[in-house]
Order: sequence, then C-alpha cells, then structure tokens
Amino acid sequence: MQATLPTAPAFDRAAERARVQQERRRSAMIDFSVTLGTIALALLVGFLVMLIVGKDPLLAYSSLLSGPLSRSNRTGRWIEDATTLIILGLSVSIPFRARQFSLGAQGQMFIAAMIAAVVAIYLPMPPVVAVLLPLAAAMVVGFLVGLLPGLMKAYLNANEIVSTLMLNAVIVLLYDFLLTNVFTPPGSQSLRSELIQPNSMLLRLTAIFGVNLGRANLAVLFVAILVIAVWALLNRTPFGYEIRTIGANEKFARYGGINTRRTIALSFAIGGAIAAVAGAHLVLGVHQRLIPGIAAGLGFEGIVVALLARNNPLFIPITGVFYSYLRVGGDIMEQEAAVGAEIVQVIQAVIILLLTAQVLVDYVKARSRRARSVSCAA
Amino acid sequence: MRHITKIYPNGVLADNDVTFEVRAGEIHALVGENGAGKSTLMKILYGMERPTSGQIILRGKPVTIHTPHEAIALGIGMVHQNFMLVPSFTIAENIVLGAEPLRGAFVDRRAAIAATTRLAQEYGLSVDPEAVVDAVPVGMRQRVEILKALYRGADVLILDEPTAVLTPQETHELFAAIRQLVNAGKTVIFISHKLREVMEISDRISVMRDARMVGTIDKREADEHLLARMMVGREVFLDIEKPPAQRGPVVLKVRDLEYATEAGVEVLKHVSFNVYAGEILGIAGVEGNGQTELVEVIAGLRAPLGGVIELDGKSIAGLTPREVRRAGVAHIPEDRLTNGVAMTLSIQENLIVDRYAREPFTRGGLMRPAEIARNSEALIEQYAIRAPDGTLPVGSLSGGNMQKVVVARELSSRPKLLIAAQPTRGVDIGATEFMHEQLIKARNAGVAILLVSADLSEVMSLSDRLAVMHDGRIVAIFPDARGLTEEEVGLYMLGTKTMTPAEIERNW
Amino acid sequence: MEQALQVIFSATFIAAVLRVTTPILLPALGGLVAELGGVANIALEGIMLTAACAGVLISVATQSEWLGLLAGVAMGVLMALVLAFFHLNLKADVILAAIAINILASGSTIFVVFLLTGDKGSTSALVSKQMPFVEIPLIRDIPLLGPIVSGQNLLTYVAFIAVALVAVFLYRTRAGIHLRAVGENPEAARSVGINVRAQQYLALALSGLLAALGGVYLSMGYVKFFARDMTAGRGFIALAAIFLGGKTPLGTMIAALVFGAAEALSVQLGNLRVPNQLVQMIPYVATLVALVVYALAQRQRAIARQRKFRQAQAT
Repeated sequence: MQATLPTAPAFDRAAERARVQQERRRSAMIDFSVTLGTIALALLVGFLVMLIVGKDPLLAYSSLLSGPLSRSNRTGRWIEDATTLIILGLSVSIPFRARQFSLGAQGQMFIAAMIAAVVAIYLPMPPVVAVLLPLAAAMVVGFLVGLLPGLMKAYLNANEIVSTLMLNAVIVLLYDFLLTNVFTPPGSQSLRSELIQPNSMLLRLTAIFGVNLGRANLAVLFVAILVIAVWALLNRTPFGYEIRTIGANEKFARYGGINTRRTIALSFAIGGAIAAVAGAHLVLGVHQRLIPGIAAGLGFEGIVVALLARNNPLFIPITGVFYSYLRVGGDIMEQEAAVGAEIVQVIQAVIILLLTAQVLVDYVKARSRRARSVSCAA
Repeated sequence: MRHITKIYPNGVLADNDVTFEVRAGEIHALVGENGAGKSTLMKILYGMERPTSGQIILRGKPVTIHTPHEAIALGIGMVHQNFMLVPSFTIAENIVLGAEPLRGAFVDRRAAIAATTRLAQEYGLSVDPEAVVDAVPVGMRQRVEILKALYRGADVLILDEPTAVLTPQETHELFAAIRQLVNAGKTVIFISHKLREVMEISDRISVMRDARMVGTIDKREADEHLLARMMVGREVFLDIEKPPAQRGPVVLKVRDLEYATEAGVEVLKHVSFNVYAGEILGIAGVEGNGQTELVEVIAGLRAPLGGVIELDGKSIAGLTPREVRRAGVAHIPEDRLTNGVAMTLSIQENLIVDRYAREPFTRGGLMRPAEIARNSEALIEQYAIRAPDGTLPVGSLSGGNMQKVVVARELSSRPKLLIAAQPTRGVDIGATEFMHEQLIKARNAGVAILLVSADLSEVMSLSDRLAVMHDGRIVAIFPDARGLTEEEVGLYMLGTKTMTPAEIERNW
Repeated sequence: MEQALQVIFSATFIAAVLRVTTPILLPALGGLVAELGGVANIALEGIMLTAACAGVLISVATQSEWLGLLAGVAMGVLMALVLAFFHLNLKADVILAAIAINILASGSTIFVVFLLTGDKGSTSALVSKQMPFVEIPLIRDIPLLGPIVSGQNLLTYVAFIAVALVAVFLYRTRAGIHLRAVGENPEAARSVGINVRAQQYLALALSGLLAALGGVYLSMGYVKFFARDMTAGRGFIALAAIFLGGKTPLGTMIAALVFGAAEALSVQLGNLRVPNQLVQMIPYVATLVALVVYALAQRQRAIARQRKFRQAQAT
C-alpha cells in the first residue's frame, strides 16, 4: 500500500540498519517498562481491594513486600518456591512457544512426585544415583504424561485445554487414591508416606551456609542447568527452530517441510519432562516424602512466570524469583495481617490481563514515539 | 468525492487529495495498480474507512458516511473482491443478511426466498435461493453479491475486481448483467486493472497512480496503451520476451493422479502430464477446478488417493513435504503471505525453513547462527531484497519484499522442479516483472517449471506449453502456447470443449 | 454388577442424571453461543464460580433466593463482559485472558469467603437459600415418569428449556442469525452493516448469563452452600460437550447428558463401596475418552468417504 514516489531516494542500507537497531532497543526498553508498570498497577489494585474491604493495607503490604526477607527461614521459603516456579515457567514456555496451550503441568508434577518418591523410598541406591535415578524416572513419566495430550492434539486435533485439565483431575485423584491406600504405612496417624532414603535427599542449603534457610536445597543447581538447556534447545537446535516456526505460523512450518505433528506432540512431552523436575524437587528436596496435595495450587503459576518473561527462558529466572517473592509474601501477610493470601491470585490475574492487552502496550509505544517526535521537532 | 486524503495510522498515505466524480447511470471504471489507492477510495465511499480529510457529495448534497450501514441507507452498495458471504448460510439468507424480513419476532424465511426470486428475475441474475453458498460455483456467488446490494436498494454499485475469478464466458455474462443494471437506472463503478475489460464495458475511465488521481477520460478518447501509460507512468511491455525453450528430459511425470477431500469430494480425476527440464508448463483454469489440490498433492502437503508422481524417475507420491523438497522440488505457494512466510520470525529464519536441519546450518545437532546470517546476507544481496537487517522480522518488510524472500528461498534450493502457484496474484507491476524475470531465468537454466495461474494472459504469455484444467481433469494440453486466443482457451476452461484422451496423451 | 445395572435403570438414577447434567448443560449452552459467535470462552469455569459465590452471599445477606439468583447472574455477566472488554477492545489473547478470569474467580471467591467467615473451605457456616424445587401436579403421580420429571430444581427445568430457547434464538431470530454470521465470516457481517463487536459482546454476555445460571444452581440448588473451587472443572467439561455435540444446541444437550450420566454413575457406585477417588475419576476419564473417540470417528468417516469415492471410481 505504500505509495512510493518516483523520486524515492536510493535505499541506504547502513543508515536503515542503524535506525532499525535504535528502534529495536527502544522497543525492548518499552516492553520492560510496560512489564514493570503492569506489576505496579496490579499491586495497586490489590492495595485498593484491601482498602475497600476495610483491612489495613499498609500493614498487609508491608508484610507482603518485606516478609520474605524478614527472617532467614522465610528467605529459605522464597528460594524453595522460586526453584519450583522457575522450573515450572520453563516447562510451560516450551509448548507455549509452539502456541500450544498445555495446562498439564499440575498433573505432571503430581505424578512425577509420586514416581520419584516410589523409586527413592523402595529402591536402595548408592549416593548420587539415589538422586539421579528418581529424577530420571520422574522425567520419563512426565514426558509420557505430557506426550498423551500432545499426541491427542497433534494427530486427533483434540482441544488441548480440555484434555490437559481432564488429565490433571484424573492424576490428582489417582495420587490421592494411591497415597491413601498404598503409600501411607498401615497404622500411620496422618496421611503421608514414609521418608525417602537419606541418599535421595537433596542437600539443604541450611547445612551448607549454616543459617536456617528452611527447606531450600541444592535443586537451585537444577535451575541453572535447565535455564541454559531450555534456552539452547529453543534457540540453538533444529528442534527449537521447529517449535518457534510452528508457533509463528503452523501452515508455513508444514509447507517448509517441518513435521509439525511430531514437533507439537514433543513440545507437550518435553514440557512434561521439565514439569516433572519440579515435581521431583518437591519430593527429593522439599518434603522428602509424599504428602496430600503436594503440588496443589501450582497449576497456573508457571503460566504467569512464563508470560511475564514473554516465554524467554533467560528472563524466566527473574520473573520466577519475583513471583515467588509475592507468593511467599502473601502467606506471611495472611499470618500477620489476616488477609487471605488469595489476594496474590487476584494480583496475578490482573497482571495476565494487562500484559495480554495488546492495545495497551501498543498505546504506550505510540505515545512514546509521538513524545519523541515532538521533542525532536522542538 | 472531493479532495479525499487518507493517511492510515501506520503513516501510509493511501489517497492523496483525490477528486473523483461519477455521473448517474454510467459505467465508470476505476483503474490503477495494486496499492494505487482505488480500494481505499472505494472503502471510504462505502463507509469502511474514514477519510483523513475531504468531502463526499451525493446527488448534490454533502454527506458523511461512517459505516457501511450509512452507505447502504444512501443507496450505495459494494461487491467485494473476496466475497463477503457466510458459507453455511443459504443464498436467500445471505441476500437478506442484515436486513431480514421479520414475522413477529422471527425471521421470515419464506419472504426472504420470495424476495430473492423476484430480484433475480427482475435483473436476470439467476440463483438458487435455497442452495447453501458453500456448494455453489463462483459465478453464482458473485451474482449473490450483486443481488445482496440490490436487495438493499443500491443505486450506485461498486464492483471491486469482479472478473478476477471468472472465465471469459462468465465475464461476458457479468457484463451483460451490468448493462441490464445500467438500463434499469443504476450506476456502476467498476474497479479493475484489466485494461481490455475496462475498454469493453465502461463509459468513462478514471486512473489512479501512487495515491493520486491521474485523470478521467471518456472511453472514446482512450486506448489500452494510453491507459497503461497513465497507470504506471511509463510504457509497459504487455508481451513477455523469452528465448525459445531448450527442452530437456522429463523431470516430473504425473499419471492418473487421483485425490478426494476429507469430505469425500473428488477433486483430481486421472490427471496425467509431464514437465520437462527447461520448459514452463502452464496450467490454466478457473480457480477451484483442482489446481490448488494438484499443487499441494505434488508438494506433499496432501496425500494422493492413487496414481503416479515421479521426479526424475523416482516416485515422490505420498512423501512428506520435507522428502519431496529433498528430492528437488521447490514451491512458491499460492497464498504466500499466509503460507510462504512466518511474519514474526526473522528474515534469516524464514530463508532456511527448508534446510535448517542440514549442513552448514546445523552441525552436530546445533544450529550455527553465523552460517544462517551469511546465507541471508547473500540472498538479500542477490535478490535485491530491501531489508536493513536479516534479523528483522519478515513482517516488517513490504509485501513485495516478502515475496522476494519466498522466491529467494525457493530458487536458492537449486530445484529440479519449481512449482509456482499464482505467482503474481496481489502484487504490483514492478513485482510482477521481477517474478516473470526470475521464472524465465530459472527455466533458461534448465529448471522444469509448473506454473499455475488464474490470470489467463499471464499463463498464456509465460508458458511454453499450456494445459487446461476443468472439474478436476486435464481437458487440453497445447504443445505451443503461442498463437492461442483467450477465447479458445476459455472454451476449454469452461468444459465446453475437451480434447480427446489420445490428443492429450500425444502432448503429455 | 447386577446391583449396578439395577441402579442404572432406576427412576432415581435418571432423576439424578438430570440433576448433575444441569450444571454442565447450562455453561455448555453458554459456551455454544460464544463459540458460534466466534469467541472461544474458556472462562466458563470462572464465571460459574463467581456466580455461585455471589448468589450464596447475597442470599445470605438478603435471605432471598431470588435476589441471590439475580446477583449471581449479574456477577457472571459482569465477568463475561470483562473478558469481552479485554479481548474485543484491548485485543488480549482470548485464551490467556480467560485463564486470568478463572484465576481471578478462584482467588477472589476464596478471599471473600475467608474475609466473611474466617473459613477458606466453604460457606456452610452461613445460612443461605436455595432455589425452589418444583412439584408438577398430575405428572408427579405418573409412575416412573413422575419421580424423574417432577420435583427437580427450578434451574434444572430452566436448563432444558434453555436448549430450545437457544436453538430458536440462534436460528430464527435476527440477533441470533447475525451472531452466527459474525462467528463464521466477520468481514461479511461487517460489510452488510452488522456491528461485529456488538454481536460478540452479546455472545459473551449470553454465555456469561447461561454459565452463571449453572453456577447458581451448583451453590443454591444442587447443594446449599458455596465451597472453594466447587465447579471442579465443569466449565471445561462443558466445553468438551460443545465440540462433541457438533456445535448444535441439541447435540450439546445430548453430550452434556452423557457426561451427566457418567457423573451420576460415579455417585451411585460410590454408594457401592468402590474407592471414592476412583469413582470421582469417571466423568473426567469419560471426557478424555469421548474426545479421542470423537476425533477417531471423524477421521474414520473421512477415510470411509474417500474410500467410497475410490470404489465408485473402480466400478
């Protein structure tokens, strides 16, 4: 549609490139500020809600915002939660990059926790192997549980949102059933399995640093490895190229010769394997046994973490650390100010809504562009 | 319409101080290249876009038209280039859509059918009111569109490139209908870039170029060359020069190819032909007669039900798209901007979709950014793609440059066979020339080219040999595309004439 | 086994099927209207939940079930309009926005219930009202049919009447036809002067209304309290019902009845000392199996059609 005038100047590639790169840097800055602004706005909404319901928002917010740093064991809780959330965010980012709305992380964590626990409780193993084997078993099962809705979507075009949520429900009930009837030792007072063997327990940070860091443990190392692995997978392997191409335009991917069905199914499965690491972390590092609802309420948290990071694995640690801070702060707020921690869910929902509202982001960009051209003119 | 200017929010100037006058009861053609601003001007008249500045005067009075609804109320109707019909609704339902006759609180279906029948008879536009739109041919869908406008009491009818999807014979019928409409007192604005048709049907002709109105002339004062000059500001060669074909051995052999859609509709019926190295085999035909499916079956995007597809003597029938590409087939797809590129991926990444997993782009399981960048720099240079940087998303390029990305990728794969589907649809004359040059260059270098195009004059002037498809069959193959007339080919396209199987086989 | 069969073919069982189908059928009809209007509404779950909660709380406050119903429906429509605003005006991805609505619903209902009762689990400590159960004279006395058709909750009748109303609306009224036109080809609808956005707002508002009725039924009919996350995935089962029902009102109803039967069966089997959790799995497994069977059947049909064409060719 561009009307090119007959006397259009020659195309100056170097100048265009410089202009484009400047534009790109600016755009990235805006994206970053939009994210920060969104978070601030969401916190403000939470603040207003508390004001309206007559709670003391200042007390509540001070425990929300300073809570995780107020005591070392609370900091430990923060590290522990961040570990889980970052792994979950990474898990979600893979199918999301292929534009597949897999919501199966919840179920994948439950079943992975169960498998890791079975291996770690019942199979005697030497050190190191005792950690790696349960982890590997969990990942294999997570992979398979992810693969099922993936195959259903890729080959049968079954709606992945419905199938993953149904699968979650089935797995959670199965977990409950097996915990009640199989894993809880007879005569036990409470509903929980035996402890896993000591060799399988991930070393706690408390033991390393000598300060009470609660249940935070060596799984933070998994995080570092996984971030790099997922980044490399998405950006440096043919499979990652396939995932991103399908996410950008599935028809184009098929036309170009990509086996779209296989890639889509695998994106679910690999997401499942990574979610399984989070599930294994809950057993090997955090609880050291199976407890009821071990991964309850974590279902959608990975989505927020991934979304805030725009599905970029390098940003997920940052958003995961931030978001777990809010979650832990919310729990502390509930104890200290008697405000339900669910307010954090409300804040979470507001963040998603604002971040996906494309028009708002574009509006901010257009505004800043206009402001700049005005300042240039002046 | 006086001094109309339209600047889109993204800064594109689509219409620049355009003044355009239509007299009651005339057939007025509006011509210009793609992107000259004709469609935007008509969308403003029909209330789908608002002008940035300017005025519309209807029957002597200034009017504002902000929605299609207001345009309809003022007696302006529009028939869009891509039909605006609801596929699962019946023809009658489509015609009354938005202005349904009511009985009580409910829509009166019988009245809708009656109104459709009455209008169809009045204007000689025959349709079946109770047929579902999805199941009727293109020509009838277009008549539905015209009836839709008439049902709403349109006095001024805007027809946006109405002949693009019609056979010559259907075009004649359409023109007859247009004349009947004008006789009944209607005014018709006819948008086109086919100069021959414009000369045939219109009373006056307005030409647009680069968002400006170049001028309005009477048909009697106009000829095709004058119009062409006004459109592009220079003489264009309507004839394509090419050296005689150096025909080599058979590259693609197709025999008895059959295909049916998942809905069970048979689309390809015993299709057989050869494409030789160093020649362009054109396939003419009205759209929807199996060409799309033929291309996609050969490219591996659909699985054939039966028959033979051989490339250099090896079967490629039923292989995956990747295997077909590996065997040496390149494919410029019909809908390039939706299937041929991924808008949000970078130019670099778009250029390797058929080869990313191979050396030198991937080694030892890892991709190599330096090689990917080198490939893209080389192709940007070679095909003069106007792109500041290969890491930019393809979506930031203009439409013409996106086309070049597709062509660069497909030709640089060094194919034995190139399938080009509707290669110049929706592109301007500059990009069309580029595309034609590239096709002829590839042919001269010994590539076998299968060209599918609904633009009859294009396919006739580019092809060395010409096949015609009708209703899923090859109904004719002409060993020499030169010297054929559009009317003659048109008879085959409509299925009125068919060569005998023996005759076709001789020309395989 | 014999016992199970006896259970299934009893009038009480069929009455139970209708009871548990209601909170699947209502949101499914809502989702159908949205789907045909061209917007996939994944937020049915959240809409039901807020409606269920608002209904109970207002009925507690006013001691009027009717005001509770009104509040529940108003809340559901409001949530649907929030979704519509973010998707249609602010161009948010409809699936992510709907996920946000679901999170918002889950979090805010628990937050509010905790605030009012100090209990995060349910409102059973509060005295809430229930929508009336309707005894139909004459029919009530017919053997077999009577216990099935009569004595159901008002909203159960509403659900089945709504099937017909939705069908008439979609295929016979101007607004419904415009809505379907918008869903199928928005450009075509716009070109004849139909306001596309207004139609999609209407579609989402109606889906909110119907899903909200389903939510109110759960907390003010099926039981008499609100419990956290009490919708338990029914909003998503409803989505499955739409697809399995071939996107028609009647088909959706039949699919909802199938899911309802699976759930009713699970309740009955629970009485027969089958472990609780395994029984509760039935509706979810049924949905999964139905998804696969439906997809396989569609593919088989396509293959059969192609094969038929081949045979016709051969002869």
